[in-house]
Amino acid sequence: MQVEDLEGVPQRCLVDTGTATNRFGAWIAEAVGIDLEGALEERIVVGGVTATAHHARAQLTIAGVRYDAPVTFCDPWPFAFNLLGQEGFLRYFRVTVCARELWLDVEPEPRV
Amino acid sequence: MMHTFQVARQSYELDRASIEQALEAVLPEPIQEHYVVVQGRRFPPKQVLTCAIGLDRADFTTHQARRILKRLGFTAARKEARPEDSAPLGAGPHGGRQAAALEPYIGQWVALAGPTEVLVAADTPQEVLAWLARHERRAPYGMFRVPRTTADAEGGGPF
Repeated sequence: MQVEDLEGVPQRCLVDTGTATNRFGAWIAEAVGIDLEGALEERIVVGGVTATAHHARAQLTIAGVRYDAPVTFCDPWPFAFNLLGQEGFLRYFRVTVCARELWLDVEPEPRV
Repeated sequence: MMHTFQVARQSYELDRASIEQALEAVLPEPIQEHYVVVQGRRFPPKQVLTCAIGLDRADFTTHQARRILKRLGFTAARKEARPEDSAPLGAGPHGGRQAAALEPYIGQWVALAGPTEVLVAADTPQEVLAWLARHERRAPYGMFRVPRTTADAEGGGPF
């Protein structure tokens, strides 16, 4: 996944069907210049860690499709990857998982 | 143990510890062909010598740098001769080679040029991004923090 214009540095993500919004490490917002000042802020628990979450939007590029998605930027961020959830990802893409052969296919929904 | 070397008509006294100290907070530049291993990280030989003695890298050759660093006991090698590429396939993605390549970087942020090719490793994602920008490199296989634990890798939190 590419975030905004952070070209050439794709980000690894875990598709999390149990998460409503996409959740990324806050360092990504800083890296791509998304201003979190004034963004809705709350405390959430993610991966067993209490984090400050800022709700914002970001341009994401996945499977060649660029779209505007809701993203919750969290600090601290406990994972080695970001989370793609229902609102910010699964409603835009159809995902097929083959755990046996270690592959995942992502296809844009026709309306994207 | 100190060794005396002649570089660009000047005499320098160097030992292994002073080289290691000079590179402690330095991120390795991209490896073209030759590299030396300093405290588990691969550096271009000219970068090592430049950091250690402050000379302009145009004042000496890669081979001079390699020769000096080898005399100080550092391992010097060529990028092509990567033993992990010829290792037998094991379990996991990329036959376990990716896990083996990433093992020295556990807990650090890395950028990958290929499944087993680590471009840069640093303590923060900002340092990795700055390095990529400075060297105009891309990381087509992504950047991420190498997980410390299975829970880090799989996303499990404490219950």
